[in-house]
Amino acid sequence: MSPGELIIELFLMPLVAFVVGLGMVLMYRRIGARIQRRVGPPFFQPIYDIIKLYGKHTQISHGLIHEIGIIMAVGGYVAAETLLPVPGMSGLADKGGVVTLAYVMMIPSLGLALGVGQCANPNGSIGISRALTAMLAYDIPFILVIFGAAYVYGTTNLADIIAIQQQQGPGGWGIVQMPLLALAALLSLQGIMGKQPFEIYIAPAEIATGPMVEMSGKFMGGLFVMQCFQLYTVGVLYTTLFLGGGEYWLTFLPKIFSVVAIPMMIAFVFPRYRTEDVIRLLWKWPVLIALTGLAVVLR
Amino acid sequence: MSNELENIPIRQELEVLQSGQKRTNPLANVFDGLVKFCRSRSMFMLHYCTGCGAIELPPAMTSRFDMERLGIQPMVTPRQADILLITGYVSIKTLKRIILTYEQMGSPKYVIGICSCTVNGGMYWQSYATAKVLRDYLPVDVYIAGCMPRPEAVISGLRELMEDISSGRAESWKKYYQHYDYYLGNQQKLFGEDWQTPTDIIAEARHYDLMTEHTLGEHTALLEKHQKPLEALEMRLSVKDKQKV
Amino acid sequence: MTPLDQLLALSALTVVAVWLIGNRQVTGWNATILYAAQGVLLMMMSDLGYGEVQSIASSLTFKVLGHGLHWRFDGLSWFFALITIGAAFLASWFASGEWGQRYRAAGGSLRLFHVALALNVFSMLVLLASGDLLSLFIGWELVSWASFLIMALGSATATRYAMRYVTYAFAGAMAVLMALVMVYTRSGSFEFQDFRDAVPAMSSGSLWMIVILFVAGFGVKMALIPFHLWQAKAYAETPGPGAAFLGAISSRMGLFALVVVLVQLVGVERLADLQLVFPFFSARDLLSWLAVLTLIFATFTALRQHDARRLLAWHGIGQGGYMLLGVLIADDLGSAGGLMHVFNHATYQAVLFMTVTAVIHRTGTSDLNKLGGLVTRMPLSFVAMLIGIIGLAGLPPMNGFVSKWLLYRALIIDGSPLLFLGSVVGTLGTILSVYKLIHNTFLGQLRLEHVEVEEAPSSMIWPMMILSTIVFVTGYFPGLVLDWVASAQAAVGLPVLAHNLGGVPSHKGGLDMIWVVSVLLAGFGIGALVFFSGGRSKRVHQLDNYAGGHFLTAETRYQYSDNFYPGLMHLIGPWYRKSFRWLERGFVSTVDTLSQAMQGFYRVVHPSFYLLVAVVSALTWVVAR
Repeated sequence: MSPGELIIELFLMPLVAFVVGLGMVLMYRRIGARIQRRVGPPFFQPIYDIIKLYGKHTQISHGLIHEIGIIMAVGGYVAAETLLPVPGMSGLADKGGVVTLAYVMMIPSLGLALGVGQCANPNGSIGISRALTAMLAYDIPFILVIFGAAYVYGTTNLADIIAIQQQQGPGGWGIVQMPLLALAALLSLQGIMGKQPFEIYIAPAEIATGPMVEMSGKFMGGLFVMQCFQLYTVGVLYTTLFLGGGEYWLTFLPKIFSVVAIPMMIAFVFPRYRTEDVIRLLWKWPVLIALTGLAVVLR
Repeated sequence: MSNELENIPIRQELEVLQSGQKRTNPLANVFDGLVKFCRSRSMFMLHYCTGCGAIELPPAMTSRFDMERLGIQPMVTPRQADILLITGYVSIKTLKRIILTYEQMGSPKYVIGICSCTVNGGMYWQSYATAKVLRDYLPVDVYIAGCMPRPEAVISGLRELMEDISSGRAESWKKYYQHYDYYLGNQQKLFGEDWQTPTDIIAEARHYDLMTEHTLGEHTALLEKHQKPLEALEMRLSVKDKQKV
Repeated sequence: MTPLDQLLALSALTVVAVWLIGNRQVTGWNATILYAAQGVLLMMMSDLGYGEVQSIASSLTFKVLGHGLHWRFDGLSWFFALITIGAAFLASWFASGEWGQRYRAAGGSLRLFHVALALNVFSMLVLLASGDLLSLFIGWELVSWASFLIMALGSATATRYAMRYVTYAFAGAMAVLMALVMVYTRSGSFEFQDFRDAVPAMSSGSLWMIVILFVAGFGVKMALIPFHLWQAKAYAETPGPGAAFLGAISSRMGLFALVVVLVQLVGVERLADLQLVFPFFSARDLLSWLAVLTLIFATFTALRQHDARRLLAWHGIGQGGYMLLGVLIADDLGSAGGLMHVFNHATYQAVLFMTVTAVIHRTGTSDLNKLGGLVTRMPLSFVAMLIGIIGLAGLPPMNGFVSKWLLYRALIIDGSPLLFLGSVVGTLGTILSVYKLIHNTFLGQLRLEHVEVEEAPSSMIWPMMILSTIVFVTGYFPGLVLDWVASAQAAVGLPVLAHNLGGVPSHKGGLDMIWVVSVLLAGFGIGALVFFSGGRSKRVHQLDNYAGGHFLTAETRYQYSDNFYPGLMHLIGPWYRKSFRWLERGFVSTVDTLSQAMQGFYRVVHPSFYLLVAVVSALTWVVAR
């Protein structure tokens, strides 16, 4: 690949991620609406929200770190997208691999945590403490899944993982080869996406959306952008590990949308668990399933 | 369901690009129009539900009338909100919180007074503890009168606001900065002269070029006399070596 | 004189010079210059670090009872020596300015402090240079006593825990001595080569015994479970720069000795052959699990601390687990990860201890419940701590990520999911606890009494900035350190990691940090563009905060720092109480009794007599069986 093409890819990948992510946010809100027997927002609603937030006339900042936090939150995901191969573009997949990706995905959370910390709002700090605790809960099954996938495919290079699955057709997809791990991953996706029943750290009625409590205008807008990236990243990562990635966008897009749709549908019919119950639940079932799955694949 | 909604009267069709002050650059005008349109189609509301009118909001939000299809969503902190929805009577103690909350919202921000109580005190007209006319203390964009207004009325009021925003008429938030002295005076009359909120409106007006001759006056002078300092903690980047022990 | 002689001589000279200059302000600067000179001498041996020379011997040799003692440097020693001298240089620089003035004014003796530091460096160099088991033992004892000296400079608590350390160290030394005797009876000499040759012929029973004794002896210094109880409090209470030095390198001497004995001499394959429960659990697994348990236990104990220094000290213990685990995996990736982590840990641990010391210097406390919001007053210290914690948590783009990545990669190849899980649990716990550290120190609400606090003096800022630059640069270009790591691997006979400047090329999923960090920085750039495309922002006062409509005042603190992870603690808190506390109480009471006895004969009775009795009885026991 020539350097020029690579640079184009590096710009295009986050852009595509953002656009697809907007679609996912729309889907999320539409699913919620349909489950509650409503019509839901118009097609361009996610864009309206973001433009409006960036176009606020007064923006309230609590200091430099508050601003840097938002920059890190968006920038970390922009970087993460280039490590995530999609049809026709593999970007930097061979430079990092799945372990690096898992850790780069923590940078936005860290940035957000720093930004919220500077706000000096206890609701925000409580939210971050709960979010980090939730991360401790869902990352344990998730990391077992990543271990299993990397071990089975014999590589951490995501582009190779896709190639291996595509050579063997749908029978060689991760979800067929290691169904238990795929199930465990799906359960931990719920936590990674921070949807009900694992959204105690947002808890609008109790701690006023926790980390977002002091986010106004473009700060909130940055978080909306981050949410688009987050949904996209999660969907693509799962598809890459278990659903054979995508050869064409036409087959790839339905896959990632349906992956993201499953946790969303679960989300709207659940209330939320307390923090300790989140940990208890995620350390019990997904971990057990993942360990059983590992025992099967390691034999 | 949709039929019912169409029956709700609104004043005009949406008029995009009809702002008061036009910029010379046509692209900038398009951009301004886009931002205004988005503002009108994405309204996050914070409902300050002090009275009975709140009960009419859940049907407006949930499956019966579904505000979300107009891009209206409930939010829980003033920082994220665009609309402050005040339902029902406003006692003096409550009004302090309403002003605090209003000042913490990011502009452009809009205030909707729901129920007769916010218009003129309604059935609490004779109460000693109630602030009767909300407009004296905050600039109000839309009043939705009624005791209580039905969800249709609420949505109608919101659509009116949408239209005002997209046509550039809903600029009352600027009035708060431009005529701060007037609002502050009314607030001081009610709360006493040592009244102060944590938000520094004058500094904000200065920062965003919203100062007029009415921003400052006798009441702000009184405020400055009692004010505890509100400057942000700026970062200090100086490494000094003190040789004292 | 060989370069090694010069280095050791200069190091000894540093001790003497510092002693002669005495308790004066210039002591620190002189010591700093002398460490720099030691660094220059070390650089003259840099061929070792790049694998161009196998070893450089010292011309100093002894003969004791017919056994030759000799000293030499190889790639591994050079790598550790580099960290030691670097840490000493920066710690001493840090201590030379205002910190030293304050310390002296408060009644501390700068002479004692710097002598203790210099003595530590000297003894560590001697240990690192050891060329046979006997010189290893001598170096080991020197290091033990030197580090006791610096720990005992601190408060009464530190002295108490230093005493506890001495107890452990005595027992450890006995264990090492017994192991040496066993080795001697089996191989007939104290030479490394003879031991290595004798290993294949040893029965697994005696090899088990040797391994256990060595691990018990050297594990004390590493604070490996179950010898972990002394370190955190002793290190935390050591005077600031001393704590930075100890935290950076001191306990890694245990790792060095273990690497020499277990990897270089016994060999990890031999360890894997020593089955405990056939065919599942070998000596290697046992040690790996000890490493992982040390990691998890120490990290989650750190999570519960509310004193910044103790929190860091417990992390220091935990991170040792990564190093030992990496070395025990013993393939090219894992051992490189373990050894590289020694360097990385030294850099960020030192910078973290320094920032905490700077905060103490300015505010007088390291209690995480009494700080907050200092970022506006000490922004440079904040940056240093931020870089430090990202390194400690092992996230890109800092160097801690690279060593952990190597370790994870090795564990995936090795197919050990549970060890992998354990090390990730350690990392996650670290993220939680370092966020608490930075949040409660620098973020959140600035307290009224800290409004007038100023940035740390330049004598503190410079070492912190240098270290944090190293943390970042070696994360950006890990090849710089991997070169040294590769020659250290070669020196102990481990497979050498194929690497380039950016990391590890591999067709099965490599790592190129130059690309990863560049794209991350570019991402931040795009994030900044997106951010600043929005409207103008205005900074507001910290009390202009949404509190559900409540009016905030400066008198009432509006902050959240105490009991930072209540949900987690609600669940796992009882685990600490039940299992950990029970375990700990058992150890504590045993060790306290021992240390009181130890204090008794350390102070009053004839210590040499008891020592002799103990040694003789131990030797009799070993030889007789």
